[in-house]
Amino acid sequence: MIGSWLQERLPIQLDELKELTNEPVPNHLKRWWFALGGTPAYLFVIQIITGLLLAVYYRPSAESAYESVRYITESATFGWYLRGVHRWAATLMVAAVILHQMRVYFTGAYRKPRELNWMVGMCMLICTLTLGFTGYSLVYEQLSYWGATVGANIAGGVPVVGDFIRRLMLGGDAYNVNTLPRFFVIHAAVLPMTMIFLIVVHIGIIRLQGVTEYEFEDDKDDGPEEKAKTFNFFPDHLLTELSLGLSLMVLLSFLATVFPPLLGPPADPLTTPEVIKPEWFFYVAFRWLKLFSGTAAILSMGFVVFVMFTWPFIDASIRKRTRFTEASVWIGIFGVLAIVGLTIWEAVVAH
Amino acid sequence: MEDNNLPTRRGFMIAACASFAAAYGTFAAFMARFLYPAETAVGNWTYVSTVARIPQDDALVFRTPGGAIVNIARSLDQPERLMALSSTCPHLGCQVHWEGHNQRFFCPCHNGIFDPTGKAIAGPPADAGQSLLQYPLKEDGGLLFIDVPNEELAMGQGEILDAPSPAACKLPQVPRVRSSTASSRVSV
Repeated sequence: MIGSWLQERLPIQLDELKELTNEPVPNHLKRWWFALGGTPAYLFVIQIITGLLLAVYYRPSAESAYESVRYITESATFGWYLRGVHRWAATLMVAAVILHQMRVYFTGAYRKPRELNWMVGMCMLICTLTLGFTGYSLVYEQLSYWGATVGANIAGGVPVVGDFIRRLMLGGDAYNVNTLPRFFVIHAAVLPMTMIFLIVVHIGIIRLQGVTEYEFEDDKDDGPEEKAKTFNFFPDHLLTELSLGLSLMVLLSFLATVFPPLLGPPADPLTTPEVIKPEWFFYVAFRWLKLFSGTAAILSMGFVVFVMFTWPFIDASIRKRTRFTEASVWIGIFGVLAIVGLTIWEAVVAH
Repeated sequence: MEDNNLPTRRGFMIAACASFAAAYGTFAAFMARFLYPAETAVGNWTYVSTVARIPQDDALVFRTPGGAIVNIARSLDQPERLMALSSTCPHLGCQVHWEGHNQRFFCPCHNGIFDPTGKAIAGPPADAGQSLLQYPLKEDGGLLFIDVPNEELAMGQGEILDAPSPAACKLPQVPRVRSSTASSRVSV
């Protein structure tokens, strides 16, 4: 009765729906490290939900932001927990995006015909990092204020358009009353909408092209009957993703409870703290900025991002024109070691 | 019967596209202009305080209408000579600290180091030849004015943020700049 009523109003064929959602998935996806792409997507949903709840109490102005975060943390019921989950999910999301990108890189999954999806992924990486940057700017503690100031001035160091971008970011020549509302709008509306669009495009391209297929030693035929090369999305892969989602919720709750985010000293435009560090995922850029003059550091960082964006084409050119067909592996190892090395360097020293 | 006054298909499409481009282009331009902050007016003389209020052995901390922090002090050898030195690091905008024991300004963000006159001597600012900014000052009838960028809706009026205190840093032959006592470690 209800079924036919619904069928008349939503003429969806269940068989078609089943076929659409039950695409065969290659066997290699049974390995957990191939589920790293779904992890940030899951964490992003957590961020949307917790972010919406935090926005109910958060007041984006220099006069009230810090106090509203204090209220959320110390007075609102379960505020400490929701802020903790939001904070830790952000950290894990950055980590998961980086690990997913490393997996894609070292398995060569960015190669033809998946170059465009790699570039969409790069946009998502930048979006994720910008969400992290604007997120901790909203607390309006010392790190927030000086992080925003340094970030805007880094943008200001870009030749030709830098000053325009810096003024647009800050809403003036320096951090002022217009700055925090801008960061809030970017963090809570512009970037999430951009991210949703990019996720739809990213997954859309994956569905159109299909998942890259790998065959590992233990997947190969080792018996009288040849093993199937694929398994079902539903329920097999869905179970993997659900297990992952459950594990993440437990992990997030554990981290938010045992290591809740604290409040640093409130922003003081007169005083930069004697020792100041950004979030861990910006340590590498922070150290780089100490090693070179402003313009040199900014241009070289921009160059690295440009190379990362266009890597599928650079890699294709190297493979076509030289005999170093696996150069990407060695370049990748060097890149990872450099990033890890600079991050550790910044983490262990005061200045 | 055919109506000769009807536009051609091509003409209609061109007119429609041009209309949409004009309408939504104007809309986009208005939005962009709304988002971009008001232009800075350069070279506005802004009142700071009376000259008599600038002490002999300390600095007066002044925030400009644009939000910059400026330290105004007298030179030791020529007390009638006033200087206004920005405490904003020209590298990426952090506030420098005076380190009395090293006779230098230090920027904690990226290790920029400046001598007592504000000249960069080490770190990224020195590599790029960036020194601490000095602002022009003028006296008029015992009143002190500073030439700073002015901006509407930035930080409101310029204001004195910190009255001189006896515990300020001791600088040789140069204006005193507010010494930070902050030593807190900001971590996450």
